[in-house]
Amino acid sequence: MNLRPITALAAAALAAVVVLQPQAAAQEPIPRPRESGGCPVESKAFYECATAKAKTFTPPRTAEGRTDFQGYWRSRNNGIAYDVEPGPGSFAVPPTGGEIIDPPDKKIPYQPWALAKRNEIRTKSFEDPQGHCAPSGAPRKNNTLFGWRLIQPKGYVAFLYESMHDFRIIPTDGRPHLPASIKLWHGDPVGHWEGDTLVVDYRNLNGRHWFDMAGNFQSENIHVVERYTMFTPDTILFVATIEDPTLYTRPWTLAFSLERNKEEGYYQLEYACHEGERDLQHFTDDTGRGESNTFKGK
Amino acid sequence: MFVPVSSRRSWSPLIIAAILAGMILAARLSADQRGRAPAPATPAAGAATYAPPRLPNGTPDLQGIWQVRNTANWDLQAHGGSYKTPAGLGVVVDPADGSIPYRPEAIPKKAQNAKDRETGDPLEKCYLAGVPRTMYLPYPFQILQTETEVAILSEYVHTWRWIPLTPLARIPGYESWMGDPRGHWEGDTLVIETVGHNDQTWFDHAGNFHSDALKVTERLTRTAADVITYAATMDDPKTFMRPWTIRMPIYLHRDMDRIMENECYLYAEDAGKPIRGQHPQ
Repeated sequence: MNLRPITALAAAALAAVVVLQPQAAAQEPIPRPRESGGCPVESKAFYECATAKAKTFTPPRTAEGRTDFQGYWRSRNNGIAYDVEPGPGSFAVPPTGGEIIDPPDKKIPYQPWALAKRNEIRTKSFEDPQGHCAPSGAPRKNNTLFGWRLIQPKGYVAFLYESMHDFRIIPTDGRPHLPASIKLWHGDPVGHWEGDTLVVDYRNLNGRHWFDMAGNFQSENIHVVERYTMFTPDTILFVATIEDPTLYTRPWTLAFSLERNKEEGYYQLEYACHEGERDLQHFTDDTGRGESNTFKGK
Repeated sequence: MFVPVSSRRSWSPLIIAAILAGMILAARLSADQRGRAPAPATPAAGAATYAPPRLPNGTPDLQGIWQVRNTANWDLQAHGGSYKTPAGLGVVVDPADGSIPYRPEAIPKKAQNAKDRETGDPLEKCYLAGVPRTMYLPYPFQILQTETEVAILSEYVHTWRWIPLTPLARIPGYESWMGDPRGHWEGDTLVIETVGHNDQTWFDHAGNFHSDALKVTERLTRTAADVITYAATMDDPKTFMRPWTIRMPIYLHRDMDRIMENECYLYAEDAGKPIRGQHPQ
């Protein structure tokens, strides 16, 4: 058996084929996942239920006395890999229930000019930076279909993602961030503990990526705070608050469930994105030299 | 040279010191003569050997940010300089003459690779570096470690190597750029055995290559606070007449508290030189 690398686009196309089957009259969102950790699927209800359960749940602990998050995990969501907002979908983006919990209308609170830009970018959803094998940054990377291995040596939490063999190294000592002049695809994650919750603060993101496949873009002024709280032995409440005064009228927050992968004998295989890429030459928003206008921010 | 010390005899410290001194002298002489980098500095005879920090279960702690200082990435053998290649000592310690023991039928391919290296080197396309080359790229990597697993995390195109220290069955037929490693401790040395390589990676920019039958056995020993002595043995009977071994020091970074990134192919795209895959003809 020769395992071949799968590009993100192939994965999306596969998902689109699975989802966009002939349906009964009303178009349903993508097949709803079951409840997660005994909490409902709808994002706000999930968040409230998981928060309540976490209050009475005592997590396993590391030798340092912190929540032990180690193991294999994957996202359990309602379509967030496709669109953080509820919506009818677009090219290769199935209709979804979204994962925003604030604002209450579950729409990203764009400034008017930014909304117009999003709607224009959305017509070129094939230009998703993920198709260029760009690391997804925060919080999108946790939306991966392919899961991650989480290891927790003293003073760190590290995520080893199968998707594009990407990783995050999170020191948990609350150290200062890198100078603001350094902009990185991965940003600079710095963690600290608030009780049993791991809080990860991202600055220094270059803002070149999207939140999803639906054209919800970013800027280099983005600031993301993620919170991980275990609420059952096999589920984590994942919350991310995003602020960017140059794009939005206020901060906004999304939440979804992370679920433990307990498959016996499982280990992560290689996802060699760039090495396996064959199709970008055909579909970029081309400058005429094989480059992409959208990817370069034009 | 292995000097066995029987548990039922005791060797006078003077004799041990003399043997050690002789070994060090011999190693330095032969290294100089063969254009091979000398072994990493060993403590003077009679001085205390280095005691590494340890995890609670007693295994040495290799954690930190590390990077080589040599030219192995460009050529594993001793070499003069050439276009975009600095001159450097070799890192092949076995065979003793510092050469890589290719099978005769493999030599033309090595020569062709060397000729085509400006475009043929997979790193020129920002492809994954493979093993062991990922360990001697000119970029930092971070080692994170628990009692059950080791992670080696390279800045170069955000590459992780995950090495379980507990038994874990491999998936048959699995081929990959970075291989399928399994680790265990032998005394204070971390031994990593990696199979499951494809045949796409090179050992260096000089075009030294392998087949998918490659097995790499690496040994990492923290021999000083700022040094991991690293050795890798390549066993690939389709390409080489016998196994061969490289050895080099890897140095601790005291000037960085976190690694950053090197997103090779994304930078190429930004610079107007996108690297696009092609359909097979």
